[in-house]
Amino acid sequence: MADSHSPDSEPTTRTLLRRVLDTADPRTPRRPRSARIGCWSLHSAQISPLETSSSRRLRSQTKMSARRWSHRIRSIDRLAHVQASGHLEEQTPRTLLKNILLTAPESSTVMPESMMKPLTVPQMVQPSRRESSWSSLELQLPELEPPTTLAPGLLASGRRKQKLRLSVFQQGMDQELPLSQESRGNADASSLTSSLNLTFATPLQPLSVKRPGLARRPLTRRAVDVGTFFQDLRDTSLALPPPDTVLEDTQPFSQPLAGHSPSVRHSLPCPPHSGAKELERADSRRTLSGGPGPQNNGPGEPAQLLAGKVEEAAAAAVGFPNASSSISGEDGVEPLQNRVGEEAEERTEESWSMREVEEAAGAQGSARAGEPEGHTEVTEAEGSWGAVEAKEPEGSSEDEDTSGRTASPELASSTPEFLQARRLQVLEPALLPSTAVLPSEPAQPLLARLPPRPRIAGPRPRPDPYKAGLNHYAKLFSFYAKMPMERKAVEMVEECLDKYFQHLCGDLEAFAAHAGRKTVRPEDVELLLRRQGLVTDQVSLHVLVERHLPLEYRQLLIPCAFSGNSVFPAQ
Amino acid sequence: MMEEEEGAEEQQRFSYRQRLKAAVHYTVGCLCEEVASDKDMPFSKQTIAAISEVTFRQCENFAKDLEMFARHAKRSTINTEDVKLLARRSNSLLKYITEVNENLAQFNLERKAKKKKKSEDENKDAVEPGEAGVVEIEN
Repeated sequence: MADSHSPDSEPTTRTLLRRVLDTADPRTPRRPRSARIGCWSLHSAQISPLETSSSRRLRSQTKMSARRWSHRIRSIDRLAHVQASGHLEEQTPRTLLKNILLTAPESSTVMPESMMKPLTVPQMVQPSRRESSWSSLELQLPELEPPTTLAPGLLASGRRKQKLRLSVFQQGMDQELPLSQESRGNADASSLTSSLNLTFATPLQPLSVKRPGLARRPLTRRAVDVGTFFQDLRDTSLALPPPDTVLEDTQPFSQPLAGHSPSVRHSLPCPPHSGAKELERADSRRTLSGGPGPQNNGPGEPAQLLAGKVEEAAAAAVGFPNASSSISGEDGVEPLQNRVGEEAEERTEESWSMREVEEAAGAQGSARAGEPEGHTEVTEAEGSWGAVEAKEPEGSSEDEDTSGRTASPELASSTPEFLQARRLQVLEPALLPSTAVLPSEPAQPLLARLPPRPRIAGPRPRPDPYKAGLNHYAKLFSFYAKMPMERKAVEMVEECLDKYFQHLCGDLEAFAAHAGRKTVRPEDVELLLRRQGLVTDQVSLHVLVERHLPLEYRQLLIPCAFSGNSVFPAQ
Repeated sequence: MMEEEEGAEEQQRFSYRQRLKAAVHYTVGCLCEEVASDKDMPFSKQTIAAISEVTFRQCENFAKDLEMFARHAKRSTINTEDVKLLARRSNSLLKYITEVNENLAQFNLERKAKKKKKSEDENKDAVEPGEAGVVEIEN
């Protein structure tokens, strides 16, 4: 190892360290000096192998670098010895560095930048260094390299803010591979100084040196959209008033049957309301859900604004004011949030799942006394649906269908008539048998589309009840097509969907009639799914429910899903 | 031993199935020949084979559906209602089946009426009320 000392004219920490190293030369690194300096000897022991290896490597590269390296090592040793000579009791790297710090600011004339660094950096680094002084000292050697790469840049930049330097330093640390000692060639007096100065900063980056991946990157913050933020605030404030009903909805099993039915009712109609509230949901859907608002079966004009509709829905909803308003409030409250999310999914499925939920809820009647309610709800839904679909079985001609559809606008501005039916809660029993409209849909198309994408259609007031609801499905279709679709194609899709739904509901109705019933029940739905091959001996209906329904509705169907191990027997 | 039995049983079932398939294939072939002679357009062998395979599989589906329908109606016997439900998809088929059903019912009625008359003629005094009662019960 070359022992020639480069002329260190600056009275800086570097010189101090060199002095330490010089004084430490005669002592062999591996010789244990004392228990107090045990760590230091360890450090020296570490230094020596590094030194030798590094020196060898250095020799292969540059003599200068070798000299630097040796200088550094010696300087460190010298410093250690200085400290040792000074304070034999506290011969630790910590004290060493502390002394370096104390001595560093004294020489500030030659290298103002380098001096600034230790002044500012150590203050930040010191607390961390206290904790990791040992590691910092250990890492001083390898850390000397990275700073060297940074040094030119740092020095070249002239006076900089400390933060900037640190960031550059961090970048340099990130770039610098751990323990790469090839960059030592860049060392020069200033760089050495800066490197020494920067070693103080290294305790911040010990991990980064060894694991670049752990280095902290500057946080990228997105600009907060104040408008949406306030909107959310308003929504949450709206949602706050009736927290009890919200809780009630989310924990249907915490209350007796009396509480069940209202909760069931609350939960089920809520989604339409919340869906209506959600501006991001399909506009047609919104118009639909807005339609149900006026429970009096009033003129559900699809042209109504959503806000107005929501308010109407909230106000007019019989027995659902709390739920609806809470739902409309939504975002702030978690259960509502989930429900809304599910609501979106629900509505994307045109409430098919909801119907199924009703049906399934009916199926679950044994476990939950909500069956009668579910049943009535099914009937309601059927009634509403029946209003639309009732015409279909009567005549397969399209005219009848359109007439049926035109009749439906009175009930609902668009397809999810069942939502309106629920609002109405007044169903002609004659409609019931024809309402084979059950959510037999959980079949392929809906389930396939389960991750719904709320879409905002352009022309919002589309008063075409015939296919307004299908509009949403068509949009989903075009979304999943991943390609732009012609308008004609979308219309074709809507037509096909229409026929498909009609067929499906006809099947359900036939099944119900086959069993001598006038109401579509979950058994009919199960039969339909079984025929479609979705429900097999291996896969039961409940499995499908669990797989495809959002949790809030799943819990209605599968009592154990959300009860948290507290399932009460039906009474 | 059990595996052998099962294997033998499996083979039996398989051979039974094959025989059924052959029967269906033969029947389909006959029907296709009729249609071919009617429309003056021959059927290729692959077509007949495809049709018979489809028929066979569809028969399986029908059977399962019929069983499901019967169970849905809480019955243990497959009924004409189940068959009608199965055929509802195709209007013409449904009409045809309904017609045949009506004819059959009528025929049965007629047969029973004839039987009743015969029984009346033959066993006027003693058996008649019994038979009439039986006939009525059957109706």
